[in-house]
Amino acid sequence: MPEAMDASPGAAAGGLAGRLWRGLRLPLGDPLAVFGLMIYVLFILTAVFADQLATHDPTEILYTPDYDLAADRRPGEDGYILGTTSLGRDIWSQLVYGSRSALLIGLTAAVMVALIGTLVGLVAGYFGGWVDAVLMRLADIAFGIPFLPFVIVLSAFLEPSIWNVVLAMALVLWRDTGRVIRSQVLSLRTRAYVEAARVCGSSDLKIVFRHIAPNILPLSFLYGSIAIGWAILTEASISFLGFGDPDTISWGTMLQDAYASQALSTRAFHWFVPPGLCIILVVVAGFLVSRGYEEILFPKLKE
Amino acid sequence: MSGMRQIAGRLAQLVFVLWAVATILFLMFRLMPGNPLAAYIDPTFTEEQQRILMARFGLDRPLWEQYLIYLANLLRGDLGDSFFYRQPVFDRIMELLPNTLVLTFSSLIIAYGFGIVVGAWLAWARGGLAERIVIPVVLTTRAMPEFWLGMVLLAIFSFWLGWFPAGGTRPPGAEYDSLLALYASRDFLSHLALPVLTLAIYSQGLPLLLMRSNMLEVMREDFVTMARIKGLPRWRVVVLHAARNALLPVATSFAIAVGYQIQGNVVVETVFSWPGLGRELVNAVSASDYPLAQGAFLMIAAVVVVMNLIADLLYGILDPRVSHA
Amino acid sequence: MTETILDIRDLAIAYRVAQGEMRAVDGASLAVPAGTITGLVGESGCGKTTLARALTRVMPGNARLAGGQALFAGRDLMTLPEAEMNRLRWREIAFVPQSAMNSLDPVYRVGTQLREVLVGRGGMDRRRARARAEELFGMVGIEPRRLGDYPHQFSGGMRQRVAIALALALGPRLVIADEPVTALDVIVQRQILDQLLELQKGLGLSVILVTHDISVVAYVCDRVAVMYAGQVVEAGDVRTVLTRPAHPYTMGLCNAFPHLDGARGVLTPIEGAPPDLLAPPPGCRFAPRCPFAVDACRRQAPPVQAIGGTHLAACHRIAEAEALRARAARVETWAAMAETVA
Ligand SMILES: Nc1ncnc2c1ncn2[C@@H]1O[C@H](COP(=O)(O)OP(=O)(O)O)[C@@H](O)[C@H]1O
Ligand code: SF4
Ligand SMILES: [Mg+2]
Repeated sequence: MPEAMDASPGAAAGGLAGRLWRGLRLPLGDPLAVFGLMIYVLFILTAVFADQLATHDPTEILYTPDYDLAADRRPGEDGYILGTTSLGRDIWSQLVYGSRSALLIGLTAAVMVALIGTLVGLVAGYFGGWVDAVLMRLADIAFGIPFLPFVIVLSAFLEPSIWNVVLAMALVLWRDTGRVIRSQVLSLRTRAYVEAARVCGSSDLKIVFRHIAPNILPLSFLYGSIAIGWAILTEASISFLGFGDPDTISWGTMLQDAYASQALSTRAFHWFVPPGLCIILVVVAGFLVSRGYEEILFPKLKE
Repeated sequence: MSGMRQIAGRLAQLVFVLWAVATILFLMFRLMPGNPLAAYIDPTFTEEQQRILMARFGLDRPLWEQYLIYLANLLRGDLGDSFFYRQPVFDRIMELLPNTLVLTFSSLIIAYGFGIVVGAWLAWARGGLAERIVIPVVLTTRAMPEFWLGMVLLAIFSFWLGWFPAGGTRPPGAEYDSLLALYASRDFLSHLALPVLTLAIYSQGLPLLLMRSNMLEVMREDFVTMARIKGLPRWRVVVLHAARNALLPVATSFAIAVGYQIQGNVVVETVFSWPGLGRELVNAVSASDYPLAQGAFLMIAAVVVVMNLIADLLYGILDPRVSHA
Repeated sequence: MTETILDIRDLAIAYRVAQGEMRAVDGASLAVPAGTITGLVGESGCGKTTLARALTRVMPGNARLAGGQALFAGRDLMTLPEAEMNRLRWREIAFVPQSAMNSLDPVYRVGTQLREVLVGRGGMDRRRARARAEELFGMVGIEPRRLGDYPHQFSGGMRQRVAIALALALGPRLVIADEPVTALDVIVQRQILDQLLELQKGLGLSVILVTHDISVVAYVCDRVAVMYAGQVVEAGDVRTVLTRPAHPYTMGLCNAFPHLDGARGVLTPIEGAPPDLLAPPPGCRFAPRCPFAVDACRRQAPPVQAIGGTHLAACHRIAEAEALRARAARVETWAAMAETVA
């Protein structure tokens, strides 16, 4: 009976996988969003083929054939694509390997934020009552926590690691996603097909996952794609402030290294500009993709 | 009146959130591994001396008792003494807060002034070349790590061109009679310029994009069409009707931006060695000066929470549909 | 013979849409005698608002004049330079919108919005503007102290009165009212219409009253023009058109509405929907829904013909109007169409 009543979009064909894929609704119609997705692809490829792309070991201190430190090389000098740091490390290779930590942090944080936020929003919005009240008070508290200071304090107590940023985001940044998804669920709940499923005796869980969740998936991806950028920016800030993992090569640790090594006064733009540009590129990609999702979700914006 | 009830409710929520944040902080500082006094205790201290110290900070009592004392002290505005400065944390924070506020407000006022005007203009000139150029540029500024932007500006304008000093609020050794005298001085302004520029570039995107999308929405409203049918001059239609309405949520976002900026200041203050609350938090955490770190964190959290509340109330005040319900 | 204040000739307005150009108004002609209320009636989507807005020349961005004229006191509004058109706006031609809620700016007091036109467009000083605002509120039956209220503080009916006061502010010659009472309940509708009628008679205004509701037309209008698919298919004085309609569409409309005064016959809807204006049917646009359509109707567009006096209609079977009216009065005539259309 519930099968026959099922009028939710995408119910007709395929199992869960197909449902999810259609729920994803990649914003391929919007050229800017496609551009953002292309940046993502490029960035993932760089991370995957970092070993091939890098010209040196990023942590290795390099010497000239006559055993002088190969430090402070300008781009192109002695074959170092982007030059070297003041400690004689190859900047290009660091940049390439930096994409790995960025990808790792960005994706895990995005998944955590989207997952937690979506679950909270779904549960709060669908069940209402005291469950909703408790979850929304938790969101209030999360909104009261200054995020960057929180990450700093957390990083100070825990072992230095890139995962601190992910943990902090999982603990705090689900708040925006959670609230937005909750209000979306509230409006979906009243839609006819959910009512119909309920009348036909579908279980709560089934209603939530079959009928409501597929419709809010694009919203989760919207917030997920923003979270990727957030995570990378936060990691950079934390590393810059000296609370990052000094053994990990990331764009943030590169910038910290440059700042601490007086790269500003020596005007070593080739050192601190490229990591910043990489960060911008990836974060902008997130914005573009999320805008694409926004236009799918709220088409009137497009007009 | 329901308005009063609503405000009372929001105030209760504010107190609740502050209490929760203070509690979380307490738990973080007490339950985390490591002796909170590690930075304070010299290796030369005897067991006995250490015990006396623990007692002085109340660390020998059960956790719940420590918690109650902590809350009671907070209520009295007593944030403890800084390990490093050996002075009350509260005093230290009050010294730094003005520097942070000056930085925050001057950058946000510039950012909002710019963002509102350009956002409104973009909506007006929609679909044109300007839109295709400005919007990607704005998105790029939103995507920049703030400290990186600060680094680039420092490298160019301070180290390379030498137009501005590289950090701090005043030349080394300069003294002023009062804070006001300092803030009014030319030296201070030249020190302020780069950090403010950094923060303003980063912050203008939000009001700009918000203003633009609100304007586009408002310009589709009947009352804007009616204003044109009335034959009102174009500037009146755009400024006094469309922009005035589009401004409501932007003004609200200003309060939220203050709270947001205060936390973000952590990095920019560090880049520019700006003696503010954010840099102090970083230094205190690095130096394991826990009372100071805790106090700075709480102060920042308080600003965030209060600003969120003000944002809510502001909307009610600015929108006659709410204030004259 | 009264003077004609507005003479619309073959007006065509097109919207640019994704699929091409859509003529929402396509060769509409209509004369508005001075000092009368002329109703413009037709189903939703037939182009009434488009026509009404075209007269102010404040149109959606994708709209374009595709032909025709609108002579206002002898001058063609459609070709007037913008600066001159703007001088006419509100001083000569005022507008009462459907939803006063959305057409009043929510952040200003209504007094401020009145002052804006009185000072900005009427050239009054603030003191005279204040006196005039109070006078206008008196005219529409609202206490002057409510000038200090915001739009959302008024009820729907009151807001519509505010909109009327605004329209009358500068003593215009022509008032275009687009569905001014549609959003209101019937009792309030009557009050507002009574008010409008009284003001119109007292001030000698010319009014174009746009409505989809034929009973509103019957209640207040002196003359009426019936629109279908972007064209005026019948026009004349209200008594004649409503009691002896010559166009089958008008006959159908009269069947489909209850009367505002409560007298009601059997309500029979016209089956089907107005044609797609992107590709209107050849011949008579009403033919697919017309119970009296003959082959000629589907081949050739019927010309507008005079029936007597100022009564005009565009139908191939005008000569048989008497007989068609008798058939149209029967429910079965329209019910039979239900299958054809479906
Ligand atoms: N801005 C617009 N762009 C495209 N089509 C429009 C626009 N405004 C109205 N239309 C279409 O033009 C037709 C006539 O609309 P309108 O003049 O509002 O009719 P009415 O007022 O009689 O209901 C409708 O089909 C409507 O969908
Ligand atoms: S012309 Fe023919 S189809 Fe059109 S209204 Fe007259 S009878 Fe009906
Ligand atoms: Mg209409």
